[in-house]
Amino acid sequence: MSGSSGEKTGAAVPWPAHEVSGRSNLWNYVFLLALAVFFLWSYWGSQVQLSLLFSREGGGQILAYIQKLFPPDLSGPVLREALQGAIETFAISLMGTLLSAAIALSVVFFASRNLIYSGLLYEMEPTLGWKRGLRLVPYLAAKGLLNLLRTVPEMLWALIFVFVVGLGPFAGVLALGVHTGGVLGKLFGEVLEDVDPQPVESLQSTGASKLQILLYGILPQVLPQFISYTLYRWEVNIRVAAILGFVGAGGLGQRIHIAISLFFENQLFTLIIAIYVLVTLVDYLSAYLRRKVT
Amino acid sequence: MRERVAMAYQYRLEKVGKVFGRRQIALARIDFVVQRGEKVALIGPSGAGKTSLFRILNCTLRPSSGKLWINGDEIESLHGRRLREVRRKIGTIYQQHNLVPRLKVIHNVLSGRLGRWSAFRSLASLMRPLEVELAWSALKQVGIEEKIFTRTDELSGGQQQRVAIARVLVQDPEVILADEPVSSVDPSLAASIVNLLIDIGRDTHKTLLMNLHSVDLALAYFPRVIGIKNGVALFDLSPDKIDDRLLEDLYSGHLPPSDQEKVAHAESNALAYP
Amino acid sequence: MRSPTLSRIPKSEKSLFSYLFALLFAVAFVDGWRRAEVNPLVFFDAENRGNLWKFISGMFPPDLSSDFLSLMIRPALETIQISVMGTIIAIAIGFPLGILGTRTFSIGGILNEADIQGSPLRRTWRFSAYFAARGLLSLFRSIPEFVWAFMFVRAVGLGPFSGVLAIAVAYGGMLGKVYSEIFEAANERPLEALQSTGASKLQVFIYGWFPQVLPNFVSYTLYRWECAVRASAVLGLVGAGGLGQQIEISMRMFNFHEVLTLLGILFVMVAAVDYISAKVRAML
Ligand SMILES: Nc1ncnc2c1ncn2[C@@H]1O[C@H](COP(=O)(O)OP(=O)(O)OP(=O)(O)O)[C@@H](O)[C@H]1O
Ligand SMILES: [Mg+2]
Repeated sequence: MSGSSGEKTGAAVPWPAHEVSGRSNLWNYVFLLALAVFFLWSYWGSQVQLSLLFSREGGGQILAYIQKLFPPDLSGPVLREALQGAIETFAISLMGTLLSAAIALSVVFFASRNLIYSGLLYEMEPTLGWKRGLRLVPYLAAKGLLNLLRTVPEMLWALIFVFVVGLGPFAGVLALGVHTGGVLGKLFGEVLEDVDPQPVESLQSTGASKLQILLYGILPQVLPQFISYTLYRWEVNIRVAAILGFVGAGGLGQRIHIAISLFFENQLFTLIIAIYVLVTLVDYLSAYLRRKVT
Repeated sequence: MRERVAMAYQYRLEKVGKVFGRRQIALARIDFVVQRGEKVALIGPSGAGKTSLFRILNCTLRPSSGKLWINGDEIESLHGRRLREVRRKIGTIYQQHNLVPRLKVIHNVLSGRLGRWSAFRSLASLMRPLEVELAWSALKQVGIEEKIFTRTDELSGGQQQRVAIARVLVQDPEVILADEPVSSVDPSLAASIVNLLIDIGRDTHKTLLMNLHSVDLALAYFPRVIGIKNGVALFDLSPDKIDDRLLEDLYSGHLPPSDQEKVAHAESNALAYP
Repeated sequence: MRSPTLSRIPKSEKSLFSYLFALLFAVAFVDGWRRAEVNPLVFFDAENRGNLWKFISGMFPPDLSSDFLSLMIRPALETIQISVMGTIIAIAIGFPLGILGTRTFSIGGILNEADIQGSPLRRTWRFSAYFAARGLLSLFRSIPEFVWAFMFVRAVGLGPFSGVLAIAVAYGGMLGKVYSEIFEAANERPLEALQSTGASKLQVFIYGWFPQVLPNFVSYTLYRWECAVRASAVLGLVGAGGLGQQIEISMRMFNFHEVLTLLGILFVMVAAVDYISAKVRAML
């Protein structure tokens, strides 16, 4: 799309030509070229063989695999396993998401500039001084912590927690909670940084303390968004919780891992159906609740 | 000696100026004193600096230059608890209402009590409102008591403005700063709200400062009117001394040449029409 | 100032829904706590604390030997390559399905007002395309990329290509759904105007629809790419190439100083990708 502005410059144009041609035009081409090189490099490096997919042999492989999945194993014990796995996965996602909200809530207020560092609430304070410098410390520490939590993916946290607290769903809860805590911390921070300052100002002018301003002016504004972000992350987390079992952190994933390793394709299919149903249910529930809060 | 004199005043401003950022001059130079219990109207064109002045008077903004005493205290000396104490005694009705839209009306009204409440009480009241009677009677005074449990963002502009007034009533301050308190209500309601604020001020000896776009209301109800333009006080007179020419000066976009001198004078003296 | 005065303060009422919801939530919480084996006390257990300490102290100093680093360059780059190809194919999957799954494009809205009414054949065809697209998208995105990766490893063998396909399918589903939401949010008036000039649906799409939503479209796609980088780092765990495989090996061998290095590499990669996509966003 970005190249299209260049094509018109050859004709006699009724607008100042230098705005569309010239430097920006050249840069567009350089950019597109770089992009093309980047894509080719990725194509080569990731060993993509689209031809394989559509070739007789490759396509046949995939088809054969799909055939092996059918029919799903709907015998009693398998169904019971699937149901139990689904409930456990649900529990992991729920507890993990709640933990993450708790983590985000306890860190985010330190990580938002307008609450802890500068802006309306600090107008009447001297502009310089060691106190201001001191407030910078928790601010930066909180930001750094959130970044750390967020950068390490859930599965790696799960590996770590399995090592620390042992196999089982609790490691999964911790992994979800810690990673998502970082993600939510960042999202919550953005919400906090654009609260409407007018109610805050009027509360401050009645003589309210910072805590009271938080309770009456800021939380009512941000809570609905906090909740809807948390619900949104819950949708993500239910998918993750379904696979955490691969590294020993409980839930459906553990059972899938077993079914795959033992080539029980029909059981695998049942479990995949369970994931699909569970995820879809949670998506609907979360969407419904999000509509309720806003 | 000087401090003692200042003690008698509610407000005393000396060459107060406010600059936003580097160059946005909202207030050039304001000098005046307001006695306790006095009723003053401020009028002036849009952008004159009235709101900025109020935000300085209620300790939200710090003047960029000049000095301000509130009740004898120099505001530079106020911090933390003392600052909150001073803020509690000044109630502000904001031009844009500045209410929390998602809270119920009652919480917005009761937020006027925050300066007196402990943190725990404030939290408890959010769960189950305390001092409901107080909020009720304040809302009754402004005529919207039936909205007490409505969500604030479901009210009309004029109703929200009255919620903001009820909040100040509940705050029960020594000074009321009302920034355009009647901008979004119909004319007859406007007069009765101005009346209400003046009555309350009289009965409980409150100082009242009010920004008004309606010159008629200002002249009709206030014994003292200050005209502000381009960040300076153009005049500070009782209403019977204010004639059409003064008002024309105040609201005209470009001053006629003969008046330019007076503005120059105003800038050096702050009061062009002593 | 008078109004029909109430003499009594009314009661504020709570809805039945909120009680019911609170009850359900409490049940789910208690049951979830038990099933997920939540136990905050584990951190006070001496053995676990020992493990934690072993892990943390084991990470330092990170392994910065040139042997190890040079070995890691390839998987790191591979992770990026997987994410890029995966995202591109995901766009190829999500874009057409997203268009078909847009209500205002396929079956409703002003563009179909006159068209669809008369012809039952056309209507059946459009409706089935719409629901098929939605169904496929939902299937693609509801199965985690990890599971897709596992199946592709079985179907096309170990290696980065399975990772690419896994991301392509799972992210194709997510992109398609959000694309259709973005399309649906577009202003319909310019579309109506274009259609009234006699433009075909595709022309309307190219001239009036896509340009309106382009910034959102690009922005969301870039966001997904950022996610894809993290995802492809993890997919290595099932043998689909990239950095994840290395991390798992180091973790299982208790070589925590290597883990820290790998996390550092991941951190730099993610930061670089975030930076690039922020730059591209700013160009819009
Ligand atoms: N926070 C701010 N940052 C920058 N400039 C500001 C800010 N607040 C006010 N100003 C500027 O200061 C000047 C005075 O504004 P102020 O709001 O005090 O005017 P006003 O007299 O209240 O006008 P009105 O009658 O329209 O309410 C204006 O030029 C305005 O643009
Ligand atoms: Mg104003």
